[in-house]
Amino acid sequence: MKTMNNNAIQIKNLVVEFPSQKGVVRALDGLNLTVKQGQVFGFLGPNGAGKTTTMHVLLGFIKAISGVARIFDEDVLHSIARQRIGYLPEHPDTYRFLTGRELLIMAGNLFLIRRKQLKHRVDELLKLVGLTDTADRRITTYSRGMMQRIGLAQSLVNDPDLVILDEPTSGFDPLGRISIRHIITSLRDRGKTVFFSSHELSEVELICDHIGIIADGRMIADGTVEDLVKPDENLERYFLRVLS
Amino acid sequence: MKRGLTIASVVWIEMLRRKDVYVLFILLLAFLMILMSLNVFGLGGLVVYVKEIGLLLTWLFSWILAVNISSRLLPQEETQRTIFPLLAKPISRAEIVFGKWLGAWVVSSVATLVFYAALVVIVGLRGSWFCWTALAQGIALHLCLLGIFSAIGIAFSTRMNSDAAASLTYVLTLSSFLILPRVPELVMHVKGLRQTGLLILYYALPHFELFDMRLRLVHQYPPAQWKTILLVLVYGCIVIMIFLTLSWLAYRNKRFSQGMLK
Repeated sequence: MKTMNNNAIQIKNLVVEFPSQKGVVRALDGLNLTVKQGQVFGFLGPNGAGKTTTMHVLLGFIKAISGVARIFDEDVLHSIARQRIGYLPEHPDTYRFLTGRELLIMAGNLFLIRRKQLKHRVDELLKLVGLTDTADRRITTYSRGMMQRIGLAQSLVNDPDLVILDEPTSGFDPLGRISIRHIITSLRDRGKTVFFSSHELSEVELICDHIGIIADGRMIADGTVEDLVKPDENLERYFLRVLS
Repeated sequence: MKRGLTIASVVWIEMLRRKDVYVLFILLLAFLMILMSLNVFGLGGLVVYVKEIGLLLTWLFSWILAVNISSRLLPQEETQRTIFPLLAKPISRAEIVFGKWLGAWVVSSVATLVFYAALVVIVGLRGSWFCWTALAQGIALHLCLLGIFSAIGIAFSTRMNSDAAASLTYVLTLSSFLILPRVPELVMHVKGLRQTGLLILYYALPHFELFDMRLRLVHQYPPAQWKTILLVLVYGCIVIMIFLTLSWLAYRNKRFSQGMLK
């Protein structure tokens, strides 16, 4: 029987393996993770720890060999679960032959947003990410930071309840990082859930309600920054201490 | 359906904005120049040769376009990593496969119609015409055939890179087109397992020769019965559906990670 809860993300004993030349590599090894609705969750870990793999399972790109992964109480493999998600990949590669505006319209059409409403939403998003003036230029002419911005805009086109961001501040200059921080906090203020990975620990410390640290496919720390980090250390020191 | 159309519209925009459309124009230019200067063995006055070579080139170019476009659409989503934001949307893999097929089929069909239009103009300039009904029937069958080629290209590309998928599609379509019509003769000369094998091939592979009305068009034979044409079109639709279903089966559980097939 299905029980309702207020979890945006629920992962239990998740195991993911990939074939490799040396045999089978276990990318996630019994991962457990819960993200409550309305939280800004910082997902941290060294390179190769399993952050992106976890996100890919949540988005249904890959299937786990065992365990449970649910979004808003729906199995992640149901496309209905993705109706309420926005996703920004680490490298927001996209159709470079489209203009920024066309990309957002295409993304909105995939969510079956009505034309009039979509036009309004696209203008709003272009303004939010600061691309109004370059919206009708082809994406192939965009800089890396602009690519990241249009990627972020397309991830928000459906006004998602859960935003999954993989390294959202990579490719941004300091001003761009500040604007991303503002966007994330404004999402939180509107009751949205944000699940993001980052290597920028100072950013995470500033905006996250909750953090989780993953290493070798397992969660090794999970809690609020206040609960985990001692008064005489910062998140960076804590991160190094936990990993060592 | 709307999501499938959205995917297809992205294919159309891509073809218009990338080099493909220039390839089409270069092919068309070559096509026109060949037809205008045709005077092999002093037979330039015989419009029947213009029709025959024009139709052959139309078939050849449309075949190349359909196979090349369809076999690269899905692999390029992976190599350019555009598949990730796409799959994060509430779109099913079936809709992606259908949208890509529709995009490839419409692009190759429009290009083919341009080739036919050019051919009709050239033949007209030489003082002859096609039987319009037969031409309409021939074009309808040709476009249906391009739908099959596109579906085969998509099917192979679900599990292969674009080069491998295109090569296999060329081999399968060419061998089906050239060898299958000869199978009934071959069956008469072999027995046992060979005969069974040939018969299985004959009934399992699609019969592209059914879609070929070039001889009828070249020699001004009367049009075929519409009932026959409709039956062949239904057969073509069934073949397309079979290949699209196979594509979906191969694609629905495909794992994507870090832009690489695992």
